[in-house]
Formats: sequence, C-alpha cells, structure tokens
Amino acid sequence: MNLKKEIRIETIVVSLVISLMTILLLSILLNFDVSTTNSLGSELLNINESTTQSANAVTSVVTYFRGFDTLGEVTILFLSIFGISLGLDNMNKKSNIFSYENRLLKIGVEVLFPLIILFGFYIIIHGHLSPGGGFQGGVIIASGFLLMFLAKNDDFRLNHKIITLCESFSGAGFILVGILGVLLADRFFGNFLPLGSVGDLFSGGLIPLIYIFVGIKVSAEITALVEYFIRIKDVG
Amino acid sequence: MIGLIIISIFITLITLSIFIIANRELSHSVILFMGFGLGSVILFFLFSAPDVALTEAVIGTGVSGVVLLVTLLQIRGRELKK
Repeated sequence: MNLKKEIRIETIVVSLVISLMTILLLSILLNFDVSTTNSLGSELLNINESTTQSANAVTSVVTYFRGFDTLGEVTILFLSIFGISLGLDNMNKKSNIFSYENRLLKIGVEVLFPLIILFGFYIIIHGHLSPGGGFQGGVIIASGFLLMFLAKNDDFRLNHKIITLCESFSGAGFILVGILGVLLADRFFGNFLPLGSVGDLFSGGLIPLIYIFVGIKVSAEITALVEYFIRIKDVG
Repeated sequence: MIGLIIISIFITLITLSIFIIANRELSHSVILFMGFGLGSVILFFLFSAPDVALTEAVIGTGVSGVVLLVTLLQIRGRELKK
C-alpha cells in the first residue's frame, strides 16, 4: 500500500483548519477570566428575591428571566414527538411488545400508579419551592404511565383525544400567559400576578402557572412517545 | 470524605463507560448505561445541582433505558421474523 497516494489535499486542509481552531479555542479558554463572567449569575440572584419571591432561584431563571428559552425548548420537544408520531403511527393493529404476564407487577402497579402520579403533580406544583419543576414532574407522570404499559399488556389503552386536548390546550395556555404579560406587564412573560411571600405555596407570581402548563404538556408528550415505542405492529 | 466519594464515583463511571462501549451484548450495555445514569445522579447531587439530578434520575435511568431496550427488542424481533 502506497501511503503517498492515500493523503489528499482535502485531508491536509481539514486537519490544518481543525488545528487552527483548536489553537484559537485554547487561547480563548486559557485567557478566560471566571470572575468577570460570574457577575450575571450573582446579579440574577440579587434581584431574584425582590422580583419573583421564589425560594428556588433556578426555576425563577427558567420561567421568569428566561421564559422565552423555555418556550423554545417546549417547541423543540413538540416537534420531535410530532416527527416520531409521523414515523411510527401509521400502523392499524398494534400490540404490546412485552407479552408476558407478571402477577406481582400487575398487583403492585395498582398501588404504585396513583402514588407516582401524585408525586409528579407534587413536583410540578412545588417547582418554585423545592428542586424540580414542570419538566421533571411531567416525566415522572409519564414514567407512571410507562409502568402501566409494562404491567397491563393490551388492557391499558390511552385515549388519544384526551392526550391531544391536554397537549394543545396547555401549549396554547403557555403562550397566552406570555401575551398577557405583554399586555398587563412590561414584557413577554412579564409578571402580572401578586407575588406573595417566600415559602408560601401561592407565591412566585407567574412561576407556578407556567410550570403547571409545562408539566401537563411534557407529561402528555412523553406518555405518547412511550406508547409509540412500546406498541408495535402485529406481525403474526 | 466527600472528595474521596466523588473521586471513587468518577473512577467507577469511567470504568462503567468503558464496559458500556466494549460490551458485545447490546442489552447488557443498556443496563450498564442505566447504572451509569444512577452514578451520575449521585454526582450531580454532590455538586449541589438537585434539579439536574432529578432530571437525570427520571430521564437517564428510567425512560431512556426503557426506550433503548424496546428499540433493541423490536430490531431483534424483525431479524427473527426474516
């Protein structure tokens, strides 16, 4: 094998560009001063108490200071689930991929399913007080439905009308809250509700409302995703 | 003490990831991947990021593992039918 023939001009150009970019990146990273960039975080922490009255500063950044970014994330999740449903939902007769009967799982899920759903709603509603929030609670609810799919093979079917209604109404409500912020307050996702005091359940202004919408939307989407993956086409 | 725990979890996670990549049986590496998620949950919690730890516990350990396993089963079922 002749090594000289294998090396092409494109390879040399690409490796030169990559090494140049590595040198540039290293020069930026080595001169990076951490103390100057930390100012934004401490600034947000300073004004968090007076503007949102939320005990969890992370949620106030996610929903209040950067509410528009959360809207983008929810849109990305919706589009990915939409693509998956386009690809996997064109089959008429579907059955569960796990076709075994497990009595222990079947009886245990009767006890566990309401508790998991309750825990998910707890995480959603207490997003401004404790760690967690809309996304985490929504996925916990979806994992409860996943356990239901595993335990009851074909007996448990989702009502897709209810899922579609939940998903679309919560998405529309999320955007409506943002537009109400433009009309009644200063900006998109501006706060127009009374703030309350730190640590109360009804505090934080807009944060619990936004998180309830995000939680319902995420739980409906992830539940539909899990169902699309678990139900397969009946080959036999 | 916490530093020792963090270093030992780091070493465990690196060895686990080598096992995940090098494993011949794909279903075994999915199970090991869920174990990797569990280790990183402890790590996130020790680095005082409980929000990320909660997300990783549900997504990385629960839903993504089941979705990967189901995809594997579907691929195997189609290969067996052919």
